[in-house]
Amino acid sequence: MPAGRARPGRIRLLAIGTVAVMGVLAMRAGYLGTVKAGELSGMAAGQQQAAVEVPAPRGAIVTSDGRELAVDRLAVSVSATPYLVKDPVWTAERIAPAVGLPVAETERRLRARGGFVSLARNVSLDRARYLRKLDAPGIELADSQQRVYPLRRVGSQLVGLTDDYGVGLSGLEKARDRALTGAPGRRVEARDPFGRPLRIVDDRQAEPGRSVRLTVDSVIQDRTERILAATRSRFGAHSAMAIVMRPRDGAILAMATVPRFDPNDRESLTADAERNRPVTDTFEPGSTFKLVTVAGALQEGLVTPETSFYLPSVLSLYDRELEDSHPREPVTWTVSEILARSSNVGTVLVGQKLGAARLQSWIERFGFGEETGVDFPGEVPGIVLPLDKWSGTSILNIPIGQGVAVTLTQLARAYAAVANGGYLVTPHLVEGVGGREVRATRGRRILEPATAAALDRMLRGVVAPDGTGSEAQVEGYEVAGKTGTANKIDPATGTYDERYVASFVGYLPADRPELLVAVVVDEPTNGAYYGGEVAAPAFEQISEFALQHLGIAP
Amino acid sequence: MAPSSRRVDLADRVRRAAAGLDWWLIGAAALISGFGVYMVRAATRTDVPGQPDYYFNRQLAYVLVGLVAMVAVARLDLERVGRYVWVLWGGLCAALAVVLIIGSTGGGARSWIEYGPVRVQPSELGKVVLIVVLATVIVQRSGDLDPRRLTLLALGLTALPAAIVFIQPDLGTALVYVAILFAILWVAGQPWTHFAVFGTVVATVAVLVLWALPAAGVDVLKPYQVERLTAFVDSGADRSETGYQLEQSKTAIGSGGALGKGTDGATQTINDFLPEHHTDFIFAVVAEMFGFVGGGALILAYALVVWRGLRILSRARGRVDQLVAAGVVAMFSFQVFVNIGMNVGIMPITGLPLPFMSYGGSHTLTNLVAVGLLLRVAQRRPPQVRPL
Repeated sequence: MPAGRARPGRIRLLAIGTVAVMGVLAMRAGYLGTVKAGELSGMAAGQQQAAVEVPAPRGAIVTSDGRELAVDRLAVSVSATPYLVKDPVWTAERIAPAVGLPVAETERRLRARGGFVSLARNVSLDRARYLRKLDAPGIELADSQQRVYPLRRVGSQLVGLTDDYGVGLSGLEKARDRALTGAPGRRVEARDPFGRPLRIVDDRQAEPGRSVRLTVDSVIQDRTERILAATRSRFGAHSAMAIVMRPRDGAILAMATVPRFDPNDRESLTADAERNRPVTDTFEPGSTFKLVTVAGALQEGLVTPETSFYLPSVLSLYDRELEDSHPREPVTWTVSEILARSSNVGTVLVGQKLGAARLQSWIERFGFGEETGVDFPGEVPGIVLPLDKWSGTSILNIPIGQGVAVTLTQLARAYAAVANGGYLVTPHLVEGVGGREVRATRGRRILEPATAAALDRMLRGVVAPDGTGSEAQVEGYEVAGKTGTANKIDPATGTYDERYVASFVGYLPADRPELLVAVVVDEPTNGAYYGGEVAAPAFEQISEFALQHLGIAP
Repeated sequence: MAPSSRRVDLADRVRRAAAGLDWWLIGAAALISGFGVYMVRAATRTDVPGQPDYYFNRQLAYVLVGLVAMVAVARLDLERVGRYVWVLWGGLCAALAVVLIIGSTGGGARSWIEYGPVRVQPSELGKVVLIVVLATVIVQRSGDLDPRRLTLLALGLTALPAAIVFIQPDLGTALVYVAILFAILWVAGQPWTHFAVFGTVVATVAVLVLWALPAAGVDVLKPYQVERLTAFVDSGADRSETGYQLEQSKTAIGSGGALGKGTDGATQTINDFLPEHHTDFIFAVVAEMFGFVGGGALILAYALVVWRGLRILSRARGRVDQLVAAGVVAMFSFQVFVNIGMNVGIMPITGLPLPFMSYGGSHTLTNLVAVGLLLRVAQRRPPQVRPL
């Protein structure tokens, strides 16, 4: 066959093959578009795109020694689409144990109207695996984040709580909610009519929240809480609280309240136990407040530590009579002795010398009656009467810490001013956020260095063997501090009753103060109620432990 | 007079250039290309936020460039090209090899060369190069080689570029090369026995690659390739991306029904359930928007192209022309069949574009150049009426 001639047979075969192929395509397209059209239209109508929020892990709350107080852990939440559940009885029986609900309740939820019911949040991974394997129609599992508290009760009131959606409700969780909250990711899925994911259309990663690092030391916090708990049970007290603070800058190493609760177990939670009392509760300070009166008189140049006062047994003013807590003959004591023995009569005489107006201004100067600015939500300012509300006999109460209400944070800050040479610092709990340090402000000077030094010497006298705070003596260290004992007022009658608040505030080593510890025991019930008896031993134990733990030499 | 004679001269040249043009073929190719541009716009107007015309503008430009190239190729002197056949073949292999080494990746395959804003896919243009090379070499060597050696030579010329393309990996395009080879050998009149041997070898390889070797622990294909090749057998059971695509494609076609849901009601396409709706699955978009009537009309338009191609082939005088026409027809038919076949779920998903319809520069250019080759073959037929 000469080259150049087409082969008609082969070309015809090629043509036939091509036509056949085209025909098959057309027939198949027609089949899909007619016979299968109904079914496939249903598929198309039922398809949906769903945007799923990918939860961002919340930042951790970490102590200064790197222990996590609160941290997010991956968990699985379980929900149901009731109209897709084929057999509610069968399904409920099988999933009830895994979602932790009674069978009847599970079944009730599965029969609910509407397109969504939540069955359980924070299901463990084992249970999630079981549910996934069960693959019951209408039951859906989604990743979620669960807040856990590895140290359980430690610092529970400080940390606070979050709601089911990871929003801070109380405590530092609330105060630092913005930083702790991450940006959730978003995943868009194409889903078939049964809601099963077919394909991921778009995926944006979640951005985790920043962690918050506290000034709190977990070991000191834990030990402080244990000592308070022991103190509370030993004296049958209603509650007890304490602050361990660095007087130099107001950094709080421990802020403890007992009783505590376990945030992992919401059953243990009561409104009362949730309070972070050093910030949110006030008390009548009693003798610890005498510091303010004496400090004012010293710096105003009205007295020196050696100035002597004649102290009658009973001091009368109008219809009121005032005497010291321990009955005694009339004596002549110096200002130092008045403070060391916590004489009410002596302090009032110093206060009278200072006068109501100047005493009032000194109370405000020490920061009472206003928030300290501590970085914890719900701080109360306490109660300080304005000068025009003073009665004629207020001068018998206020110099000795009656008729005022303070927070333990305020009181600790006032004593820190003596310890650090005169600065009113801002107490704070947060050291850094997301790896960046939060700058602590220096604070304003309220005391001349000489005044602070004089007060320091007098406070050391309190802890001397013949002072009221001798129980606060820490072996090997020089301690400066002050006891306090106050009657509580019965809210029903407005008069003092037999309930007491015992307190001790002190710092050490007195020569170069590293630690300030303030302890309050509320309503001790079994006989003892003096600050020197009830609060001073707890101060001693907390201080001794903290000094050793931090390696602070005498 | 000079001016008037020049005018006559120009008119004469246009007349001669237009003489013997296959207007049916041009019409069909232009129609499908125009419809393709329209469909690309309809399918992608929500894909790039704020730029409803992103793909439309580009595809329109590709088609215009392709039409120019088509006209240029129709004037090409294939005999002169035949002198550089080995340069062409070497250049093709070199370009493919370069892509394999330094090319950029798209759709899972390393098959593009980027130069500034221009992205060229050599394996696409390689189809027409291979057609010209095979046709020329077979005709040149049919005198001095016995049929078996000739078949082996053609096989070798195809195997190297096909192998490189296969490694990229672009299985679909490699199969197009093989289809071109078969069609050209077929029309060249190679013995039946050769095709019987080919058939046996292909069947054996398929069994080995898809079943026997993986069972023995040797994976020739990548898992996603095997998945693509087998998903069409039972796509519902398949939760992979490939099974999903097939399921969505069938859903789009079926839900389009007889007359379609219109360009605005095509939820599968617009809501992005149907992936690759402007490239591999554009037929499903047509069927969703215009029903199987629209899809059927499109298939008829392809039948028209193929019919004109076969007609040109049967009337071609030169042997090279015949084989070129055979290669082009095979290229179109094979791609149309495989692409629409995978859209309707009767062929494996191999990622082949639909000629004239799918979005893509190199591919649009290649198809229009191939039409240009057919036009040239048609024009070289001796005129029916010889001027005296």
